[in-house]
Amino acid sequence: MNYDQHFVRNFSIIAHIDHGKSTLADRMMEHNQTVSERDMAAQLLDSMDIERERGITIKASAVRMNYKHTDGQTYILNLIDTPGHVDFTYEVSRALAACEGAVLVVDATQGIEAQTLANVYLAVDGGLEIMPVINKIDLASADPERVAQEIEDVIGLPADEAPRISAKSGIGTEQVLQQIVDLIPPPKGDENAPLKALIFDCYYDNYKGALSYVRVFDGSVKQGDRIASMATGNVFEVTEVGYFTPSLRACDCLRAGEVGYIAASIKSVAETKVGDTLTAADNPAAEALPGYKKVNSMVYCGIYPADGAHYDDLRDALDKLKLNDASLSYEKEVSVALGYGFRCGFLGLLHMEIITERLEREFDLDLVTTAPSVVYHVNLTNGEKLEIDNPANLPSVAEIAFMEEPIVKSSIMTPTAYVGPIMELCTEKRGVFLDMVYQDKERVTLHYTLPLNEIIYDFFDQLKSRSRGYASFDYELEGYKKSDLVRLDFLLNGDICDALSTIVHRDRAYPKGRAVAEKLKDVIPRQQFEIPVQAAIGSKVIARETVRAVRKDVLAKCYGGDITRKKKLLEKQKEGKKRMRQVGSVSVPSDAFMSVLRING
Amino acid sequence: MNAIYIHIPYCIRKCDYCDFCSVPLNDSAVRYADLVRKEIALSNRRGGGAPNKSLGFVGARVSPPAVNSIFFGGGTPTILPAEQLIGILDEIRSNFTVSPDAEISVECNPKTANAAALAALYKAGFNRLSIGLQSTNDALLANVGRVHTCADFLQTLTETRAAGFTNINVDVMHGLPGQTQEQYLDTLCRVCDLNVPHISAYALILEKGTPLYRKVEIEQILTLPDEDAVADMQDAGIAYLAQRGYARYEISNFAKAGHACRHNLVYWNNEPYLGFGVAAHSSLPGEGRIWLRTANAESISTYEKKLRKNKLPTAETIKLNLSEQMFETVMLGLRKVEGVDRRAFENRFGLPVDDVYAEAAHLDCWTDSATHLQLNAHGLDMLNTVLVSFR
Repeated sequence: MNYDQHFVRNFSIIAHIDHGKSTLADRMMEHNQTVSERDMAAQLLDSMDIERERGITIKASAVRMNYKHTDGQTYILNLIDTPGHVDFTYEVSRALAACEGAVLVVDATQGIEAQTLANVYLAVDGGLEIMPVINKIDLASADPERVAQEIEDVIGLPADEAPRISAKSGIGTEQVLQQIVDLIPPPKGDENAPLKALIFDCYYDNYKGALSYVRVFDGSVKQGDRIASMATGNVFEVTEVGYFTPSLRACDCLRAGEVGYIAASIKSVAETKVGDTLTAADNPAAEALPGYKKVNSMVYCGIYPADGAHYDDLRDALDKLKLNDASLSYEKEVSVALGYGFRCGFLGLLHMEIITERLEREFDLDLVTTAPSVVYHVNLTNGEKLEIDNPANLPSVAEIAFMEEPIVKSSIMTPTAYVGPIMELCTEKRGVFLDMVYQDKERVTLHYTLPLNEIIYDFFDQLKSRSRGYASFDYELEGYKKSDLVRLDFLLNGDICDALSTIVHRDRAYPKGRAVAEKLKDVIPRQQFEIPVQAAIGSKVIARETVRAVRKDVLAKCYGGDITRKKKLLEKQKEGKKRMRQVGSVSVPSDAFMSVLRING
Repeated sequence: MNAIYIHIPYCIRKCDYCDFCSVPLNDSAVRYADLVRKEIALSNRRGGGAPNKSLGFVGARVSPPAVNSIFFGGGTPTILPAEQLIGILDEIRSNFTVSPDAEISVECNPKTANAAALAALYKAGFNRLSIGLQSTNDALLANVGRVHTCADFLQTLTETRAAGFTNINVDVMHGLPGQTQEQYLDTLCRVCDLNVPHISAYALILEKGTPLYRKVEIEQILTLPDEDAVADMQDAGIAYLAQRGYARYEISNFAKAGHACRHNLVYWNNEPYLGFGVAAHSSLPGEGRIWLRTANAESISTYEKKLRKNKLPTAETIKLNLSEQMFETVMLGLRKVEGVDRRAFENRFGLPVDDVYAEAAHLDCWTDSATHLQLNAHGLDMLNTVLVSFR
């Protein structure tokens, strides 16, 4: 096929979690026979185990399909997948910048959700053509006409022509593909201009090294070309170019309008920067493409190897993850209780969970993470101003004039039936009510300002449970606000355990302190002596529990002649002992640090 | 060879807490005794009183010592007809030298042996009987799926004595679901009143995969006494048994003078033994200074298949080096109240036990015995903690 960018369409799919984005992508690929049936696994684009298990998309991923239109022409469709969770707005903006259009998938039984709306606005801001699709029409509770009306009312997009589909059973896939070609404009780059390729993602391949996922806007690139990063000026030689099927397939050349990957003689993973523009070293473009706004980490926590000897492995793993997750930040940190590790910054709590899970699964590490924290502004009496993301670094009370905490503006979309419980939740979390907007008779959007440190623990889970899963939630940072904050410490047998310290609002300190102390009492195994577990603000103890001394540690059972089994039980006990951290005189299992993270309070 | 163990894996019904190799009585049981006899004969033919050469054993360096303990355990051995158990004993006698004063024990659960069977066993040479009672409280027994009542136990005990047995053990348990300390002491009191010479008093251990585990942890229809209550029961039991004249000679075993179980002492002294039957374990010296532990297949069908092909049913062989042998000797020896005999240890391994485990000397768990490495009362409670700090 001769290349003509008129026959190329680059698009993303925007959808809320569970609204059927990945399923629709699977149907498109099947329809275009992009993958053989043999290789067809549900959620093809979600290549990470975690993505398939949780049914979510975390990373942007791309695939190229050949679609034969009813007009007789064959079109190249490049689908760039986007994540749907509130934490991953940044990933979405990266994917959208590589496209001319976006397919908006809305669940016919649920309607538009808060996060969908946020992503639609991102796409609109990026000048993309939005093409609504109403999914799950075959479900009994589907109400496509109401949802179409909602799309018109809330987003202001005409939805009369929106395909009514069922991605699950394959109804309407052809119509969606046809509309993509008809409605989304082809790319408008100049193949003869100097190369301009936007890196929208990176990936570390064990064989090919660091790969840049690119959208070529102008010019072309092929094997052997010398290319330069416009951000750093570094020059590389291209060793391979290709596209995604969705697995990597090498090709001769990537031209203006195309989406694909570039493998180059890039040695270090750190040399590839998402958002950077690649150009020809000998014939550079005059100016770079607009990059991405730098994202700020919202949530921080300490990550430590469960076995201190694996510190270097953890560092290597973070280096590699950072390559295809630019939003992850980390720096070295030392804890009295946990030894050497890293202070890591994340976009949100889900992001934090995903990263720790990936570290454990993909790099086979055992980790201990400390309580998540946000960034506090600490104003000292001497006029100095500090930014603190680790409670252990908070100066003494005497030195602090006042503290400020980050506040977010949130929108919560929910069926009206759950407004009561959700308002209660927001009040518990120190939320300030802004307004309530009815979308239609059954659905409403609540706006609240909330302290960020109240939503990084269990807010999302609570929201889901109090609305039976129906409410959705989006937030953006609004700014900082003066607040009566204190550091809550936990003492084990009189010694502060720095990894458990947390900064909380004074009113929340008492319930939180009691809840964590109770939990610690349960997760710290009995030892040879009694262990007082205390929660304290400064020197004032606000809660106390006791781990009683162990009475018996002996197998009071006979295993007959099976000595090997007796010994295995001892070895297991010994292994467990290795995974203990020493806090003063007390041995604390690595899991104990994790188990207090999600405490409501 | 000092000791022989025979495993009979059948029960009327497996108790809810049990994770030993035990199955309800089935068709294979009629053939089982013959299989065990075949295994005994086969192992003797191959190795002259010891397992075959492929196990790395080159036969006895000196003429093998006479067997002075034989133990039929289960499951419930007495679920098989007495003549089959006697047939196995005869097979042992025709393949090994059994000393005339050997302790020959058989385990029994109430409702599985009648007067005639018990009499036949005694007449054939069985001289010690161990009865699984666990509790005299019928409700507690039913809770864990035991098929008998206290009355059934009393009948079995009466018939055991009528048959001629005097060396009798009764197994009891503490930490049963819903059990109180009062109920446990009541059980001990009743058993002591019956004047049996040996009592094994085990703590119930909740094992994953058992029906009891499901009922406690998943369905939550039964509740176990908490850790402290179980420790209290154990302490109270030990004190009570001492008061009634039973000396604690091992963590969970109590006997009147002269009635310690010889067979169990073989295990705790880390002496060699041969096990026959499905899932049975053996422990014996190998070539050089290696020690071998072997385990038979755990499934009855595999066990049977191998023997039908005239192969020994060994499923696993573990070779232990000297340091492992020393650790096991201490691990097992410290279960005895008397502890590890320093001289015996040095004679066997050529090194003083206190040098090998010098790092454990500072622990405050020892008595000041000059002859034995011996745990004090606290040490006996904390044996695992002590052992984990070794090596």
